[in-house]
Amino acid sequence: MSQTDSGLERRSPPGTPRWVKVFGIMIVVLVVLFAISHLAGNGHGPMEHMHMPPTQQGMPMP
Amino acid sequence: MTPGLRKFALSIHLTASVGWIGAVIAYLALGITAMTSQDSQTLRAAWFSMQLIGWDVIVPLAVTSLVTGIIMSLGTAWGLFRHYWVLFSLVLTIFAVVVLLQHMQDVNYYAAIAIGTPAATTGGLRGELLHASLGLLVLLVIQVLNIYKPRGMTAYGWRKQQEQRAGRTASGAAVGEGS
Repeated sequence: MSQTDSGLERRSPPGTPRWVKVFGIMIVVLVVLFAISHLAGNGHGPMEHMHMPPTQQGMPMP
Repeated sequence: MTPGLRKFALSIHLTASVGWIGAVIAYLALGITAMTSQDSQTLRAAWFSMQLIGWDVIVPLAVTSLVTGIIMSLGTAWGLFRHYWVLFSLVLTIFAVVVLLQHMQDVNYYAAIAIGTPAATTGGLRGELLHASLGLLVLLVIQVLNIYKPRGMTAYGWRKQQEQRAGRTASGAAVGEGS
């Protein structure tokens, strides 16, 4: 027998909605793709330039 | 949180969040202009502007949006971990802010090269546009979540709700016995 939030009082937590599962999968895929893209070093990794000399860290004066 | 304070915090949160999206769109426009331009002066100007917008507009708006979002959640009945849409918004916003802060180091690097060398190139711009486009997509998803507020309570939120109901029932019974 199914119960709704507005119906009888529940004794167990409600199930996870379908949109949450879809979103969860999408976020995991996004994070994995992001990690792979940066670990592969395809030319735009955020940590790619941490080895650069300190003089290049800031913007030079014109 | 009082209603007045809640509305004030909400105003700041909405302004920062929508402003963040607008600033990223402006950033993308600069990146596309630089990518399609053959003029080195335009390219240098675009990198300089992107660095300026990134540090002086996007980063402050992003941090403000994150902080005010957390304050709004904790100060209202929505809570931070009670509803899935709030939880997803929090995770995606933290993800976007972390990537932004790391990525701005790249912007510094490419802007320094573009401004400091006579023959500026479009190197790094493809990555810029990819990051900014994905960032914009994430921000739009967060915005849609915040507007639609899809149903769905976490197990933690459900337990808290049960505790509050039990507390209200107990206090109501105590009032009934006292009168």
